[in-house]
Amino acid sequence: MSPLQNTEKLYAILQAPRKNQPQDSFRLRVCFAKRGRAVMLSHLEVAHALERAVRRAGLPYAITQGFSPHMKIAFGAALPVGIGGERELFDVFLTSYIPPEEAHLALRDASVPDLFIVSCEYIERSAPAASNAYPVSLYEARIDGQLEGPLMPPPFITVVRKGKEKVLQVPDYLVAGPKVEGDSIQFALLARQEGSMRPDALLNAMLEGESNIRVRSLTRIHQLSDPYALPF
Amino acid sequence: MTDLWPQLSLLLPRVARPVRYINHEYGAVHRYDTDDPTDASFCMVYPDTYELGQANQAIRILVNAVNATEGMWAERAFLPDPEFADLMREEGLPLFSLESCAPLSEFTCVGITLPHELAATNVLETLDLAGIPLRASERGEAEPFVMAGGPCTYNPEPYAPFFDCMCIGEGEEAMPETVACIRDGRRAGKSRQEILVDLARIPGTYVPSLYEPVENPAEVGAMVRPIHEAAPAVVHKRVWEGFAESSGWEPCIVPFADLVHDRLNVEILRGCARGCRFCQAGMTYRPVRERSAENIVQSVLTGLKETGYDEVSLTSLSTTDHSQIEQILSRLGTELSGTGIRVSIPSQRLDSFGVGMAKLVAGEKRSGLTFAPEAGTQRLRDVINKNVTEDDLFNAIEAAFKAGWRRCKLYFMIGLPTETDEDVKGIASLVQRAYDCAREVTPPDQRGRIQIGASCALFVPKAQTPFQWCGQIPPEEALRRVNLLRNSVKYKQVRINWHDPATSFVEALMSRGGRECADLLQGAWERGSRFDAWTEHFREDAWRESAAACGLDVDAAAQRSFELREVLPWQHISCGVSLGYLRAEYRRALEGQTTPDCTFESCTGCGLCQDLNTDIYIQEARS
Repeated sequence: MSPLQNTEKLYAILQAPRKNQPQDSFRLRVCFAKRGRAVMLSHLEVAHALERAVRRAGLPYAITQGFSPHMKIAFGAALPVGIGGERELFDVFLTSYIPPEEAHLALRDASVPDLFIVSCEYIERSAPAASNAYPVSLYEARIDGQLEGPLMPPPFITVVRKGKEKVLQVPDYLVAGPKVEGDSIQFALLARQEGSMRPDALLNAMLEGESNIRVRSLTRIHQLSDPYALPF
Repeated sequence: MTDLWPQLSLLLPRVARPVRYINHEYGAVHRYDTDDPTDASFCMVYPDTYELGQANQAIRILVNAVNATEGMWAERAFLPDPEFADLMREEGLPLFSLESCAPLSEFTCVGITLPHELAATNVLETLDLAGIPLRASERGEAEPFVMAGGPCTYNPEPYAPFFDCMCIGEGEEAMPETVACIRDGRRAGKSRQEILVDLARIPGTYVPSLYEPVENPAEVGAMVRPIHEAAPAVVHKRVWEGFAESSGWEPCIVPFADLVHDRLNVEILRGCARGCRFCQAGMTYRPVRERSAENIVQSVLTGLKETGYDEVSLTSLSTTDHSQIEQILSRLGTELSGTGIRVSIPSQRLDSFGVGMAKLVAGEKRSGLTFAPEAGTQRLRDVINKNVTEDDLFNAIEAAFKAGWRRCKLYFMIGLPTETDEDVKGIASLVQRAYDCAREVTPPDQRGRIQIGASCALFVPKAQTPFQWCGQIPPEEALRRVNLLRNSVKYKQVRINWHDPATSFVEALMSRGGRECADLLQGAWERGSRFDAWTEHFREDAWRESAAACGLDVDAAAQRSFELREVLPWQHISCGVSLGYLRAEYRRALEGQTTPDCTFESCTGCGLCQDLNTDIYIQEARS
């Protein structure tokens, strides 16, 4: 006799429609920092690490009802490998209300220090996606060494995408800066429908010829919905 | 210890996948600065990149075992990819551990697992990149003790000169004992040589330098003999008696990087006594021991909570053989319902994959299924003692395709002992009939999506198995048989994949070679061989040039059949299964006689339980 003959009925239990399936009623927006060694993570790696943190935190996350059920979670605009972020975002949908400060503490304890949970708040279920709501990114580079001259953005930069060279007009993307203050260089980039400009590509282009400069860090310090809200 | 992070961090922007080197994963254990400075430090190395190594369960088990023991601590290290290895050499950065980012050469002991034959050159790459002398005989008093463990230590001879000691069998207890022995020796001011002698007294430990080759193997009964009274003539593997009673959950690191197997692993049973005659794991991991259903279910739930994984794999050599598998799967199904968490099973036997199992294992997802009939005819399946029939295959296919699967891959071996052209054609026939079977139970509008393929690999004879005496067929013959197979397949929907046999001679040599293969191995590495398991890095020319320099005919060695009475290079290492049993099994194979599984029927006399004073441990009767 096969040890598995009774499994028909067990399967029926497994597959039965779940009554009163809880709804994804609560949309928790989580703000986190990507810093320290975690700046070397890719967007996908950050996403996986935080999804696991949500599960470890024991939050009542909603799952999708499709072919391959998974957590209902949505991440903000991607950061490239090597670039940190002080106010990065993701939204996770919950099936029941957890006080935001409670969710915040649970998530902070469940995450690694280099993916630091800054804050949690509930937002409208219909609010724009975190990836679209803030098209303006303010970056700050910290540098070692003395700049020889004023920092001039080039008129365009050439990037390679999927094996093809592409020319990006810098004024289409650069909406503020560069502003130099001590060891800090700040500039803001606008994400466009057709794509974005990598901040490290622009920074490297601006620093060309500055052989004494070493970039210590490059961090997205703010994400804004409106270029006019920029501090400079 | 020296902190190499400042140097490493400057290089990271220039390397591929820096996530491999940054450490700080969730669950990584760090030593306190206030700990006793005379504590022993142990660095556990997997000789391949992070993605493969971090997924390896032995690494987790041994690091945990050492960290749980007073007076010692463990860290992990992996090989960088070849490009970064070259950059590290240019920049003078030695191989480092992850947790402290310390040079391997500063550790008390370095353990390297030997997972498969094609990792052999990576062992030397590891030592060289770490700045540790390749040969044990060249290491000074202050240098680490380099230890090996894992599957390839069941024929340790090709690796013998490179290791100070080798731990044969299960390391849960043996590894902390070994580290403690070295620590105590160092604290007592003993010389390296004195410590090696102490190590040889630990059961299951092989200290190659305490053995010398003999000129009359037939009289001695081994190719080497001890030159010190502390070293046993035969080293018996270790068995961890606590396995079945221990928790299936133990702390684990949750990596940032996507691994080859990125999920929670819960080992539900150890050992497999099905007795496939080509299979080394089936002989070396005996006896069969099951953890209880209660233990497993609690371990899975705790593990998922602690790690946050969305998938758990119930691991073992043959998971569906667990006497309580049905209970385990159904309880997990209930507990995990509505969480989006998947339960997967790494290997499924054809004869236990029925309708019920088809529905229980995959939850809601239907990715591809894999079965391993291994041979195309019943005659040959009896020779290898696979003990599955065509009907088992067709029933499994029917159950799977009825339950919604549309993809199935079948594994076969080419070049098994006694294989004839009829057996090769039998593979084609079997796969085509499997396709017919799948088509019959699939709705007409979905038949276009059916994918049934066969993956074939060349048989590699393994030490400590009933086929250890058998030679490998020549590559030309292997190609002829594969072409015969391809030409025998008439269905254009059935795909035959063939694993390139270029590396097979290396596998055969490292699997069954003697100490002479150590020079061959070092020569191949010196000529640029590393990452042999990665097709794009395998350098056949380097191996062949090294063989020529050593005066070895590698093809003849790979293809050589041993006489049954001949002394084998690994005869001083015992996995517990007696030589007499292996010989009897070999004879039964030639006669096409099968041998049952002792966990389903009575003892088959492999000798292991008596020899190692142990026993099988199953939760309920298997049926």
